[in-house]
Amino acid sequence: MSPPENRQSEILIEAATTAWRPRSPSGEIRPHPAWADLDPAGRLAAYEATQFLRRLEAARDPEGLSTTVKAVLARLSPTG
Amino acid sequence: MTADRALSLDLDQHLPRIAARDVEAFGHWMRGAEPRIRGSLRSFAASVDVEGVVQDTLLRIWQAAPHFVPDGRENALLRFAIRTARNRALSQLRRRHAEPMEIERIEREAQGHDDPAAGPARAHDPLLRRRIEECLRRLPRQPGRAIAARLDSDGLQPDEVLAGGLAMRKNTFLQNVTRARKLLAECLTRHGIDLALELG
Repeated sequence: MSPPENRQSEILIEAATTAWRPRSPSGEIRPHPAWADLDPAGRLAAYEATQFLRRLEAARDPEGLSTTVKAVLARLSPTG
Repeated sequence: MTADRALSLDLDQHLPRIAARDVEAFGHWMRGAEPRIRGSLRSFAASVDVEGVVQDTLLRIWQAAPHFVPDGRENALLRFAIRTARNRALSQLRRRHAEPMEIERIEREAQGHDDPAAGPARAHDPLLRRRIEECLRRLPRQPGRAIAARLDSDGLQPDEVLAGGLAMRKNTFLQNVTRARKLLAECLTRHGIDLALELG
């Protein structure tokens, strides 16, 4: 089992890999809170993990769309 | 036209329909453009939330597309998107009062990654998709449920909500996603699949 500090860092890294992002009241996209809590090495790890996940999502999706693309398309819908 | 073939062409083929406000065409353009935009921001990754910048850039490109005038070279809109993404990232760095030398170093590194001429990413292929599904099916139950919830959420729901839907605590959910991601990478490697090589 990994030490608690590593486990906490892994949790933050994974949290930052989601395509979900908070928005300001005016709709501006904000950094993920978990990303803000990571050190530079953790942020790089989150970037690499995100890249893997987006490739996986696109490869798995019948239209080849990642969750990033789907999140943006949702913003463009009339209810977005 | 197959998805593979469509992605091997100049992404500007979608521009007239995007300019005419065709969301589906923009989805096709983003399918090829998103990995390139993300890759162009690698040098910013330790200082800027790249996911947020990518999404912000894509939304700005949608707004700008009707007025965009291509320069005649291929992937003009993609090159414009990469410049836009970099400017957004630089502006965030400056807002956080990053040291000028640090900004200069990151900018220099970013220019080294500026390679839209490498061409748009390849689409998925049926065999690759089948392998991924096989690997997903082989995951232990809880990691499998957690990553499936993430993949099916389309980036629309925060992890708290996804975890709640699976009756997991958020940290347990995230530990399960991490485990699933690592097991999936191992499974794909065992099948001789490197997603970076497959999809650019």
